[in-house]
Amino acid sequence: MPPLEHILVVNAVLFAIGVMGVLTRRNAVLILLSVELMLNAVSLNMVAFAVYGHVDFGNITGIVFAFFIIVIAAAEVALALGIVVRTFRNRATANVDEVNLLKW
Amino acid sequence: MEDGVTATQVVFWILAVVMLVSAIGVVTAGNIVYAALFFIASLGGVAGIYLILTVEFIALVQLLIYGSAVVILILFALMLTRARERPQALFGRSRPLGIAAALGLLAALIGGIVATTWTTPESSAAFEPVGLQTIGDAIFTLWIVPFIIVGVLLSIALDGAIMLASPDEDDN
Repeated sequence: MPPLEHILVVNAVLFAIGVMGVLTRRNAVLILLSVELMLNAVSLNMVAFAVYGHVDFGNITGIVFAFFIIVIAAAEVALALGIVVRTFRNRATANVDEVNLLKW
Repeated sequence: MEDGVTATQVVFWILAVVMLVSAIGVVTAGNIVYAALFFIASLGGVAGIYLILTVEFIALVQLLIYGSAVVILILFALMLTRARERPQALFGRSRPLGIAAALGLLAALIGGIVATTWTTPESSAAFEPVGLQTIGDAIFTLWIVPFIIVGVLLSIALDGAIMLASPDEDDN
């Protein structure tokens, strides 16, 4: 098995890449993809802790959490894409910096 | 670990490199569709790492929900929101600031990880895979109420998404 630190470092890099995508992209769908990368990094972290702690602590809450995160992420993607499609119909753009109706 | 690099670790690092390179592709690709394809490769890497951690159930769920359903939804959204008329910048004006913030966060996270002492099971013999039955027992006994709530939430969210995306007759 890879040591826990290696998994944590890989997940930290994946999370930072997701943050970079959220902060640099303009297209709403691509921002959503970057958020998914961050969610993946977090659930991978939870699974790693649960699997390595299973021997010592005997509970697998982290794995159940990863399962719930994946299900919630599916709901979130469906809702967000519905909003993006609706925004595109109203404003003819999917770029988040052009959707400035609430800005004065 | 001190007892040399095992085959599992080699596979782990291959998968990690695939995952991270495709993740960089997701956030830097100049073409939206290429970004979505890189995203699929990255999800495959994550599922492989789940397999290395011996949680086949989560790997399966990852491939079924993320690898198929979410990716298809995203590709449809890309297709429906394609602005064909003008070539558009994919990155905002604050791109250098965003990259700097991400690097700062990465440095903080890695600093925290390195500064902490972690305990790893010493050998593969001490390591006990988490079986499918254990996960099923946990979900359907201890976590049954959150499980039902998540199911209701998923139905409501999907209905809401259909409501949002469907054209309304009275407004237009």
